[in-house]
Amino acid sequence: MTSEISFTFNGEEFRCVPGQSIAAALIAADERELRRTRFGNEPRSIFCGIGICYDCVVVVDGVANQRSCLIEAKQGMKVESAP
Amino acid sequence: MIIVIGAGPAGLAAAEAASRNGSDVALIDSAPRKGGQYWRHQTSVKGYRSDRADRLFAKVENASITHLSEATVWSIEKDGQLFRVNYLQGGQESSLTAEKLILATGAYDRSLPFPGWDKPGSMTPGAAQALLKGHGVLAGKKIVVAGTGPFLLPVATGLAESGADIVGLYDANSPFRWLLSPHALLLNPSKFVELIYYAKLLKKFHISPKFKRVVSSFSDGSVTISCVDSRFGILAKRDKVHQVDVVAVGWGFMPDLSLGGIAGCAQRVDTDGTAVFSIDGSQRSSVENVWIAGEATGIGGADLSLIEGEIAGLSAAGQKVSMVLRFNRMRKQIFANALKRSYPIRDGWQSWSEETTTICRCEEVKMSEIRESVTELGAEDSRTAKLFTRAGMGLCQGRICSRNVSEIVAGLTHCAVSDGERIASSNRPIASPISLGILGDGKK
Amino acid sequence: MQNPDAIVIGAGIVGASVALSLTNSGFKVLVIDRGAVSSGTTGAGEGNILVSDKDPGPELTLALRSRDLWFEMQEDVGDTFELEAKGGVVVARNDDGPLMKLAAEQSHHGVKVQLLDHASLHDLEPYLDRKFQSGVFYPQDSQCQPMLAAAHVIRTVVRRGGAFISQAKVTKISVSEGHVTGIETTQGNFSAPIIVNATGTWAGELAQMAGSHLPIAPRKGFILVTEPTQKYVFHKVYDSDYVANVASSDADLQTSTVVEGTRAGTILIGASRERVGFDGSMNYEILRRLAAQATSLFPVLRDVQLLRAYRGFRPYAPDHLPVIGEDATVKGLWHSAGHEGAGIGLAPGSAALITDAILGRESFMEASPFSPARFEKVLL
Repeated sequence: MTSEISFTFNGEEFRCVPGQSIAAALIAADERELRRTRFGNEPRSIFCGIGICYDCVVVVDGVANQRSCLIEAKQGMKVESAP
Repeated sequence: MIIVIGAGPAGLAAAEAASRNGSDVALIDSAPRKGGQYWRHQTSVKGYRSDRADRLFAKVENASITHLSEATVWSIEKDGQLFRVNYLQGGQESSLTAEKLILATGAYDRSLPFPGWDKPGSMTPGAAQALLKGHGVLAGKKIVVAGTGPFLLPVATGLAESGADIVGLYDANSPFRWLLSPHALLLNPSKFVELIYYAKLLKKFHISPKFKRVVSSFSDGSVTISCVDSRFGILAKRDKVHQVDVVAVGWGFMPDLSLGGIAGCAQRVDTDGTAVFSIDGSQRSSVENVWIAGEATGIGGADLSLIEGEIAGLSAAGQKVSMVLRFNRMRKQIFANALKRSYPIRDGWQSWSEETTTICRCEEVKMSEIRESVTELGAEDSRTAKLFTRAGMGLCQGRICSRNVSEIVAGLTHCAVSDGERIASSNRPIASPISLGILGDGKK
Repeated sequence: MQNPDAIVIGAGIVGASVALSLTNSGFKVLVIDRGAVSSGTTGAGEGNILVSDKDPGPELTLALRSRDLWFEMQEDVGDTFELEAKGGVVVARNDDGPLMKLAAEQSHHGVKVQLLDHASLHDLEPYLDRKFQSGVFYPQDSQCQPMLAAAHVIRTVVRRGGAFISQAKVTKISVSEGHVTGIETTQGNFSAPIIVNATGTWAGELAQMAGSHLPIAPRKGFILVTEPTQKYVFHKVYDSDYVANVASSDADLQTSTVVEGTRAGTILIGASRERVGFDGSMNYEILRRLAAQATSLFPVLRDVQLLRAYRGFRPYAPDHLPVIGEDATVKGLWHSAGHEGAGIGLAPGSAALITDAILGRESFMEASPFSPARFEKVLL
């Protein structure tokens, strides 16, 4: 059993294999909606997957607009849809 | 010293060739591992001819090339005769100075809007590929892969090999378009081998590709597939609906021209309407001591990128480029042109959007707003439409939408998008976001 | 529209405003532009409508009236350009003597000011660095979206019987016996007894076509735009260096700090002034300086990311006053140009001055300080 790490997303705990991006870990757990848009409150998820589109942005340990498709999930990270 | 920006096939080939010929090389890339998009991997590259990647990785690792990974270049400045490459790494700003630059910054999937393209579950084939190859995660269980272009094949088969149910594989163009380019296939016989490789996989996983079809809408797990004519207009009453959790739709690729633009490299518009950098036979750009290789000179795939990279590396190291290499580049260039001929994108895509369809995802600008900016407010180009609606002003700075906005505005004003507009759209003096604190701390 | 009553050359905010003002006075107006709407400096503007940055004098008088006219224009055209009486807060970095003195003088001339001590300053701007001790609040400072404003105003002009032709480059200004008679353009020829030069940074070039002379030159400025963030800046905030910079002629680079939030959630940061002709190239050292200044005011901005930076060319005259009025030698040719960084704020006021002068009626102020004739002396 590979050593899993855990992080929280909007307060809920998620586990993943070390080295996975936050978005990958969430998608693997079937958690698709990453955030809501600021004007229309529409749900968004990973789109381009390579850091170009910024649709997958989340708040990581208090810092906003972080691309979850690029950032590796780390033990104890606090990830949120909105600040 | 030569700085190579981008560690995909072109950048790796360039770095290796230059280093092999005695140059000091630094390779900068924003990802943690080498390979760029084409050769994404966690532990090892898998897929068609992945040994090619492994060999090049090994060569680069064995050479005395400084590899700066997870380093994102945000600007390039001239420091007398030298280039100063400013990058962000580990939350800090640093810079590297060199006499010569080789830019190999690659490309990203081109997207076209349709109702529901912005919903969770809708993504590019590149995203499905990145999740799988880069993170070992399947994007979904039931997937439709669509759009146009040969890239759909490795994506669909790769997903199938990892256990996804590929509910459908749809290309908007007809495969008979290849008959327009018989010379391209004859000059590149290895492509037949590649085609057979994928054909076997498609058969193994019971994936039956269908042509002249597009995803015309996606909502709540329901994807509608429509038949299109040769102009990509939807043919009425021929729709089919599937239940899926992912639609992966891609329309070829677009290069990111930000860094070359900052360095002042001249651009031109390729036959497919894509703005690319102008280069000479040695991959030199219009700026002295700056070479460009790979997708940024014209979308052409990994084969062409490897050769262009090698040529750029040799040239930058002051070496002659052999006739064999030039000939191979020509063959691959012919194939790249055939790709453009076989997988064109037709204006009919604009008819897929409804008034409420999002065109600029970042700023949530709808089709109706783009239309009004033209018909009511007098916008005649995408720059003005952008100023009126905010389309292209969001986090991605127009990378996803700005070409689409240009073409929509052109469609409404019955004008063609000018070359100048295509080139200006890629002008981004800030290639990647940088925090004000780090930016200000770096002042003299 | 072959024979309009007046032709306005320039579809930025200045041209749009004068076109509307003339239209509302019964003129049939043709607006032309060599590009599209807002393709000049208006398209690079922040949307400032300020009274705070002006010394008592003709420009302040113009600014005060113009600011009120903005709100009248909104009543007339509709709430379509995000006009907002946001208010400006000027903070003193070091000695606040000069700022307080200016505020006192301004208040004697019709500017509403509210002097702020440490507590009230930080009430208005909670994220401002605590080291700032005092400031002045100017409730009249306002904000708009200038591109939308120009577009909607022109749309209104067209609806009321006017016309707009884009991509029309003027190739000739016809003058007969010292009076303008019409223009030739790449989109056709038009005759009119009144021609308004509202071409901003290019007003000198256009004046030359009529055989006249306007010494208007470009003053380059950069603006930084951040990612969308939560609200950290509640008004327009500037340090008091802004005032000194505007009135100076130094060729060297000058920067001052201007920070404000927008409806879209982004933060705009300025301001720089350079006389480098029309050299539009990027200058990262200036961007760094502007960033450092902004974070000095608002330390929280250190973690906010810069997304883009753009530049524009402010049109300015040697004495830093706009040029508003009839040409000294060519009758019928009217100029409304050279507003430097205040074009948006001063646009409707300038339009009123010109319309009143054309109609031969008294205006809200004496327009002679802005007269194009003031440059005649230079030539002699």
